[in-house]
Amino acid sequence: MNLTTLLEQYGKLYLTALFTTWTLTAISFSAAFVIGILITVMRISPVGPLRAAGEIFVQIFRNISGAALLILLVYALPYLNLLFSYYTCVIIATSLIPAAFCSEYLMSGINTIDAGQIEAARALGMSFFQIIRNIVIPQALRSSVLPLTNLLVSTMLTTALASQVPVNPRELTGLVSHINTHAVGGVLAFFVSAFLYSATAVVIGRIGSLIDRKVRILR
Amino acid sequence: MPDEIRDEIPVIELENVEKYFGDLHVLDNINLRVKKGEVVVIIGPSGSGKSTLCRTVNRLETIDSGKIRIAGEEMPAEGKELARIRSEVGMVFQSFNLFAHKTILENVIMAPMSVKKTPKAQAVKEAMELLKRVGVESQASKVPAQLSGGQQQRVAIARALAMHPRAMLFDEPTSALDPEMINEVLDVIREVAEEGMTMLIVTHEMNFARQVADRIIFMDQGRILEESTPEAFFEAPKTERAREFLSKYSVSTSRLPRGAYESVEKHASGVLGMRISATPEA
Repeated sequence: MNLTTLLEQYGKLYLTALFTTWTLTAISFSAAFVIGILITVMRISPVGPLRAAGEIFVQIFRNISGAALLILLVYALPYLNLLFSYYTCVIIATSLIPAAFCSEYLMSGINTIDAGQIEAARALGMSFFQIIRNIVIPQALRSSVLPLTNLLVSTMLTTALASQVPVNPRELTGLVSHINTHAVGGVLAFFVSAFLYSATAVVIGRIGSLIDRKVRILR
Repeated sequence: MPDEIRDEIPVIELENVEKYFGDLHVLDNINLRVKKGEVVVIIGPSGSGKSTLCRTVNRLETIDSGKIRIAGEEMPAEGKELARIRSEVGMVFQSFNLFAHKTILENVIMAPMSVKKTPKAQAVKEAMELLKRVGVESQASKVPAQLSGGQQQRVAIARALAMHPRAMLFDEPTSALDPEMINEVLDVIREVAEEGMTMLIVTHEMNFARQVADRIIFMDQGRILEESTPEAFFEAPKTERAREFLSKYSVSTSRLPRGAYESVEKHASGVLGMRISATPEA
């Protein structure tokens, strides 16, 4: 099968798969971003148990492989009477792991904030949450644009986990397995998916550095 | 409450304040009262505890024992009440501490809007008036890193004033500035003092201290050694330690290049000139 026949036969499916990959990535990354911020706020809060819970979350999900987590979600959760769709399981797995990394990047962003600014905010009478919302998180986000861009790319690549469970419609990696079980797409089928992943990553990278240049904090 | 009684309640009051850093006794039985409209300047050698004392007033430093009252209200060690009382005391730091990601205008309106719930239009109007007063209104849309140190410190003063504080604390406000920027900041502080603001100032600028203070407090090794009028303190210090300290501040011609000495002398005469022409306070 050459490229022309491959695209003639599967072109439409590739487009659907690309769109599915994008959707999975968008949902997972958004969830990871929100969870990552919440975990970070827990980790810097004055409440000991919250800090500990945040640390434990990060230690678990930073150190577990995506495949292992997906297997746990698919096969272990039903024993706890928690039955999620395959699609949901993939979303959960591809959200929790990037959430841990998101929190790590934000923490290193927070470390770049001069403690004097926090003192100034306290001296102005601002509360913990006002300081977090107005000063800490905005500055941490602005100085973590590039790592978070990389995280978005790696979240997209992690959504390939969906190829290991039956989800419909298939995403880019799942489609390759499908093509190679139903026809002889060979390595070419992989290359098409790889090209679509890379093209997306390049666009994400470009947008990321544009944003970074725009929001970077002058010091 | 009749006015004359309320006026007697000090705006800032520290009672038997003690603080240790490990074995080091950084604040040793500090008792201090600053009346409404009074300008108190704390001087003393490095490590004497003067900055710690200043930061203790709004509890940026914890204390081991003692009481701190602002306008008669005791300051708790933490919580909402602490934040509320803090919002009534403005503070200016050595290192400006402007919010790096916000514009100059946003720096000034942030606390009034989030803490006092001032409507944005009003906060912006007041902020622009304050920025004009400190002479940086044309920089309002820039970010702190685009301003000189002197400009940043003036913005920091405007940011503190925007909360309509009862009192202002200045923790070595000119120590991080290049020499040519010190005066522009001191001038602003002087203006704020002349408008009747209650102030506690930690500084190494002796000429400024002498000119602006109603009362000088000299600290060494965590204790208040002397408390007197500027004239009494600078002309006839009571303690040997203060005499020794002040002797280091006499300008030595041999250690400065010619130009520098001239500018110091010019500054000094300018200060004295103003002192003479200033009308005595009613």
